[in-house]
Amino acid sequence: MKYIRGISMKYFLHNTWKHRAHVLMCIPVILILFFFSYVPMAGLSLAFKRFDYNKGIWGSPFVKFENFKFLMASGKTFTRMTLNTLKYYFIFLILGTSLNIALAIAIDQFVFKRLGKAMQSIMIIPVFISYAAVQFIVYAFLSNNGMVNNVIQFFGGEPIRWYINPKYWTAILTIVKMWNGVGYGSVLFMSVLAGIDQELYEAAKIDGANKRQQIMHITLPSLVPMTTIIILLSVGGIMRSDTGLFYQVTRNSGILYPTTQVIDSYVLNSMLTTSSYGFSAAATFYQSVVGLILILLANYTVRKIEPDNALF
Amino acid sequence: MEYAAVGNKENVFRARKKKKISVGQYILAFILGLYTLFCLLPILLVFVTAFSDDKSIASNGYSYFPEKWSLEGFRYVFKYGRQLFTSYGVTIFITVVGTIFGLLIMSMFAFALSRRDFMFRKFLSVYILIPMLFSGGQLANYLVFTSSYKLKDSLLLLIIPLSVSTMNIIILRTYIQTSIPEELMDSARIDGAGEYRTFFQIVMPLMKPVLASVGFMMATAYWNDWQNALLYIDTASKNPLQLLLIRIQKNIEFLLNNKNISGAALAAIQKGIPEYSATMATVLTVIGPIMIAYPFFQKYFIKGLTVGSIKG
Repeated sequence: MKYIRGISMKYFLHNTWKHRAHVLMCIPVILILFFFSYVPMAGLSLAFKRFDYNKGIWGSPFVKFENFKFLMASGKTFTRMTLNTLKYYFIFLILGTSLNIALAIAIDQFVFKRLGKAMQSIMIIPVFISYAAVQFIVYAFLSNNGMVNNVIQFFGGEPIRWYINPKYWTAILTIVKMWNGVGYGSVLFMSVLAGIDQELYEAAKIDGANKRQQIMHITLPSLVPMTTIIILLSVGGIMRSDTGLFYQVTRNSGILYPTTQVIDSYVLNSMLTTSSYGFSAAATFYQSVVGLILILLANYTVRKIEPDNALF
Repeated sequence: MEYAAVGNKENVFRARKKKKISVGQYILAFILGLYTLFCLLPILLVFVTAFSDDKSIASNGYSYFPEKWSLEGFRYVFKYGRQLFTSYGVTIFITVVGTIFGLLIMSMFAFALSRRDFMFRKFLSVYILIPMLFSGGQLANYLVFTSSYKLKDSLLLLIIPLSVSTMNIIILRTYIQTSIPEELMDSARIDGAGEYRTFFQIVMPLMKPVLASVGFMMATAYWNDWQNALLYIDTASKNPLQLLLIRIQKNIEFLLNNKNISGAALAAIQKGIPEYSATMATVLTVIGPIMIAYPFFQKYFIKGLTVGSIKG
């Protein structure tokens, strides 16, 4: 910031003292973030140690890259987890954002405003149901005597044993995720659409543009800034997942791991079952570092292209 | 567009547009309607199954039109009596305490952030931005909280981590900046009110809409949090609802899939446990309160999301 260069330390301290009430108001949040967000960041050092419960995090011995070697050596498991994590990340990002935007535009263009608002309210409801509860709903549809098999049998087909066959689950998890998130996700874009100047549309209509052209040249471009921010914010989590979706909805069933095990569900499972954390520590370190690098890269790129849309 | 010419006494034309509703709108209505049903039907199935007779599900499978209705499922759930009651208490406690506590400290922080002449706020903005982009990960959190802070099995771990979130702080701050006029606060200051009084007596009452929407989102996050409970809580008396749901399901599964129980005993147990309807009845008791509260908060919720997102 330009003006900071001219400000002396004395002035800054004076200003802070003048605002001491405000500083006091900030202390609870500062403390909580410090102990529950910043200190655990130091816990990433566990990736380089062999954790000994008796010695605690700080006392455990350094083993340098031993955990990472372990990670690499597991070959198949590690590759599979990483590929699954990336796969779902891209599917959810691309499909999810497209559907969010499509729904937002659809509701915005819908002429019956009150009906549209009512429908949108209902569409948001799924996001408030936890995955711990959703797993039972999915079970009601996919179990051997579930809704889906009933329909299949009604049309004369053979019931499918969904829970034993990993190959269906990429699609199943995607559908569940979309059911859960699209209603809620579209609200953000709706707010942008609501802010578009109506006169732009009027002018376009006078120029003879039809609906499709209006959407392509006015609606979509105005969604670009918000979409960029959303993508930027999501990039840091590329190695992360919506754990509930992968751990609860699949009921942590080992048979389905090939298509459903992601890094986060693996780590959660190991935290609950084993006490050797080397592998998980290396994996979470990897998650955080990759995410950080990507977000810095992505922000830098966006800043070069369109500085207004960058995060920082 | 057809124009209807309307003449009045002075014989001046006033053109009035007659809106033609295109076919496309009806198609849109159909598609939106379908998606709304898609969102609603799974939840409806929970409701119907909870009130269905278990035997008809066992023989005919899950259905929206069960042969027989019954309250057996709920009776089984109430057998958990005391535990259900306790878990409800725990969940309500952490939700109410967490939401109020979080809203209070985040609003204070947001208020301080909104003071333009407060120089320290630049640092504070970065301070809250970093945890949003980078974190220690599940494992680091777990080990720091249990091993270093010795907080295993403590309700504090269910409350504090969820009480502060950067996104919410930004939403609150944006609201203060855009919807609360500086003049009000200036006149309060001239009248001799200190910062605390200004905040509690003037700013907070005006923040009701955004507090309602952020509060609702926080309350839902607390109500639905299963992962923290699963990782940190051991004592039965501290089990929140989501954890109870997970444990009940594991029990039912355990009993019904246990190879050590003879076939006859298994059949006897199966007769006693209305497996399907009991499960759904439990799910209903867990998601019920949110479903009920939603219509009341929905208005604030959508408004709050949109206001915060544009500037944030």
